[in-house]
Amino acid sequence: MEDLSFDPRAALDGIRTIAPLATPAMPFGLVLGFLVNDQGIDPLAGWASSWIIFAGSSQLVALNFLGDGASALVIVLSVLLINSRHAMYSAALRPAFVDYPTWFRLSAPYLLIDQLFAITHDSAKLNTSTPRYRMWHFAGAGLFGWIIWQISVGVGILVGDVVREEWSLSFAVALLFVGLLLMSIKDRPGMVAAIVSGLVIVIARELPQGSGLLLAIVLGVIAAGVAESRMTERAAP
Amino acid sequence: MRVWLILIACGLVTYLTRTSFIALGDRVSVPTRVERALKYVGPAAFSTIMLPLVLGGNGFSGFSEDLPRIIAAVAGGLVIVKWHSIPYSIIVGMCSLWLLEWIGL
Repeated sequence: MEDLSFDPRAALDGIRTIAPLATPAMPFGLVLGFLVNDQGIDPLAGWASSWIIFAGSSQLVALNFLGDGASALVIVLSVLLINSRHAMYSAALRPAFVDYPTWFRLSAPYLLIDQLFAITHDSAKLNTSTPRYRMWHFAGAGLFGWIIWQISVGVGILVGDVVREEWSLSFAVALLFVGLLLMSIKDRPGMVAAIVSGLVIVIARELPQGSGLLLAIVLGVIAAGVAESRMTERAAP
Repeated sequence: MRVWLILIACGLVTYLTRTSFIALGDRVSVPTRVERALKYVGPAAFSTIMLPLVLGGNGFSGFSEDLPRIIAAVAGGLVIVKWHSIPYSIIVGMCSLWLLEWIGL
């Protein structure tokens, strides 16, 4: 059995890598906390959503729906649709996790947020490092992102309307994803994925909560797959 | 009580999406073509999440309202292309947005 014992250096590297990506989400966490008060949701339950669900955009939808008195089925289904992309992250990371012990494969994905996927998947540095390093890099980065999120939402609930809407601070999250997108495009099929997904979400934005999101990602991935096989066919003599 | 039960159900489905394939490990075999296409989940997902945030959630319906955010996003994007730094890109993007809103674009 390979040595997978705790590697503090890897965990620290993980924290250092995710810190600049996790902190821009803090204003969004504060806004979520404010929303809990605004919707008249039990503050403890509202805060608990950030460790029970731990996925910002779906928490936003769930809290809004709870405040509006939507049915349980609608709320859970919306959260499932919005977070269905995580199943695709999970599928993409599967090969890298195959050799890890079951306890890690069952616990670590709980931490799998967009930023963690971005730094873990297809990272040149991680691809050449040892399984032990990758494992603790993931855990360190994931836990750091988790703590930042719990603090932001908690502070938002406690201090209330601290982030004024006219400051537009939530736009930091949009800029974060501009960055994640551009840094994730490494070749032509990646470009195809981004363009196709972008077109589909603009057209399909009216679709019921979350289903447009899933459709756009799936079509983007399929288009990229087709583009890649076309390219390799053409490259072959 | 109802709120807690709904939140726990939401948490459960979210955990299941994240754990799914990682937990299955080598008990599931993914076709090579699918596995290769999955390399592009990143660009597909990030593009899908980013656009509605930049376009204010209403797509192109309010283009003039969206213009400051579009310009700020492009400014942030240029910083990424040139310097590969997300923190700098966010600083430049936010300052651009504030400037554009201040001059009343």
